[in-house]
Amino acid sequence: MSVTQKRDGKIWIEGIDNALSEESLSGRAGRARYADRESVSVLPDLWVLKIGGQSIMDRGGAAVHPILEELVAAKKAGIHYLLGAGGGTRARHVYSLALDLKLPTGVMAHLGGGVPNQNARMLQLLLAQHGGIMCYPDDMEKLPFFLNAGCIPICSGMPPFQFWEKNSAIGLLPSNRTDAGVYLLAEFLGAKGMIYIKDEDGLYTDDPKKNPQAKFIPETTAKALLDSEQDDLVVERVVLEYMLRARKVKQIRIVNGLKKGRVTAALRGENVGTLIRAQ
Amino acid sequence: MSQLLADDGRTHVKSGLMRESLVSRKLLAQTDAETVKVMVPDVNLIAVGGRSIMDRGAEAILPLVEMIASQKGKHKMVIGVGGGARARHTYAIGLDLGLPIGGLARIVGSVEENNRDILQFLLAPHGGITFIKEHFQDMQLFLNNGMIPVCIGQPPYHFWEPPSRDTSGIPENGPDVGLYQMAEVVGARRFILIKDVDGVFTDNPRRNPKATLIPDITTRELLERDLPDLPIERELLRTLDNARSLRQVQVINGLVPDNLRRALNGEAVGTIIHSSRPAAGAAR
Repeated sequence: MSVTQKRDGKIWIEGIDNALSEESLSGRAGRARYADRESVSVLPDLWVLKIGGQSIMDRGGAAVHPILEELVAAKKAGIHYLLGAGGGTRARHVYSLALDLKLPTGVMAHLGGGVPNQNARMLQLLLAQHGGIMCYPDDMEKLPFFLNAGCIPICSGMPPFQFWEKNSAIGLLPSNRTDAGVYLLAEFLGAKGMIYIKDEDGLYTDDPKKNPQAKFIPETTAKALLDSEQDDLVVERVVLEYMLRARKVKQIRIVNGLKKGRVTAALRGENVGTLIRAQ
Repeated sequence: MSQLLADDGRTHVKSGLMRESLVSRKLLAQTDAETVKVMVPDVNLIAVGGRSIMDRGAEAILPLVEMIASQKGKHKMVIGVGGGARARHTYAIGLDLGLPIGGLARIVGSVEENNRDILQFLLAPHGGITFIKEHFQDMQLFLNNGMIPVCIGQPPYHFWEPPSRDTSGIPENGPDVGLYQMAEVVGARRFILIKDVDGVFTDNPRRNPKATLIPDITTRELLERDLPDLPIERELLRTLDNARSLRQVQVINGLVPDNLRRALNGEAVGTIIHSSRPAAGAAR
């Protein structure tokens, strides 16, 4: 007798029978059995912060140093966070080059990972004496160790999709860039909150750098922003789409890192900048 | 020569995207192209089903391995594989433990690696080698040296797996999506999904004997049918819908190994799913 048991022609193990074994993972019925399921929070006391590439890093020391001072003080006050870096103008340059050559989106996503990694490494050098440590995608499982050792974990904001970044409906640029990468990480971790550190007070009715009439919006929802069909947005569009489906991180905050105290206030839970709720 | 500008406190490299948020739809529309450059245009990506083929053991796998070996020299091939029953079991236990979607996506690849290593072993006499994502850009090296690279299918979204469209928190991206994406980004010649049914049917053929084979359909049509179950990932249809290079995929029955030879030669066996996105030059 064969030691291999089969059922419907397929090798079977006792106990393998489950709600997902009868149909494909796209099957509606199997998925419906898990509707509204609860999941654990991986690191619920951890904040995820993103330092903007174009908005902060490209301004150099005048913008970066004061923010890092606030972050070091917050760490000394016992606040835990993971710091993600954006890309900025060099990322835009390589995207321009890739667009000129009509390279596929997946290749652009691969190229787009280089600059945020540079920025993350710059932040690590600056924060090394306070415990700054690089945290690559494969190091995420070591986050508890880094935090318990008093470190400040720093990562590239870019998600590790690389060649597997899907095409967008409109345009060749990758949809998931550094805003999306840090948000998805925060959602996975069940983080305490997601804060984007930029060079504007938050959200405006139009690009305040181009239109001085643009009005500040202190609070809004992802749904309202998506429904408004507004051409430009303060974060990557997919972040708002993910927020509508998210299980854990249902709000994000945008603060002006150029204004002293704003980052600290946001980490204390104060209502600064723009708060975007899912709906 | 690139020019540096620092007139607004930020140092910009002068480029078409300078000062842009990269979110504006007007800007994005200007970055579009209906076709893109290709990387390995003569390769065929072949997705071997985990549950449909690998779980069937020797009787399904060995004839298919023979068929793949017989096509070597005639066609360049990269073989990808799914996880099957052990992937379902992983998800079932992980769901019971309350793992978040990113945790499920991170762990499921290990069982695919088992299947990859089994296929690589069986194909080794014919040039089968393991192919990992760090060697993605070396694909030509392997193919031009007569190898048959064998890889896993799950895309490396890991902890970054986006929230699912439904509330199940079960990853929507699996091996079909991951392997299609590889085929699309290299601009492959074909993407063939090997399953244990003749193709996509109007209903589940195992439960409904009246179900009929759909030989040819578009992504939008198939999505609109909203079939309760599909032999391929639903997310593959959404992904294919935005194709810029590889505009169709073919689903064939691998229990009839000759179907693979026929599909590689361009015969319309099984089901061909076309991207609804018009090809370059076509009216929109």
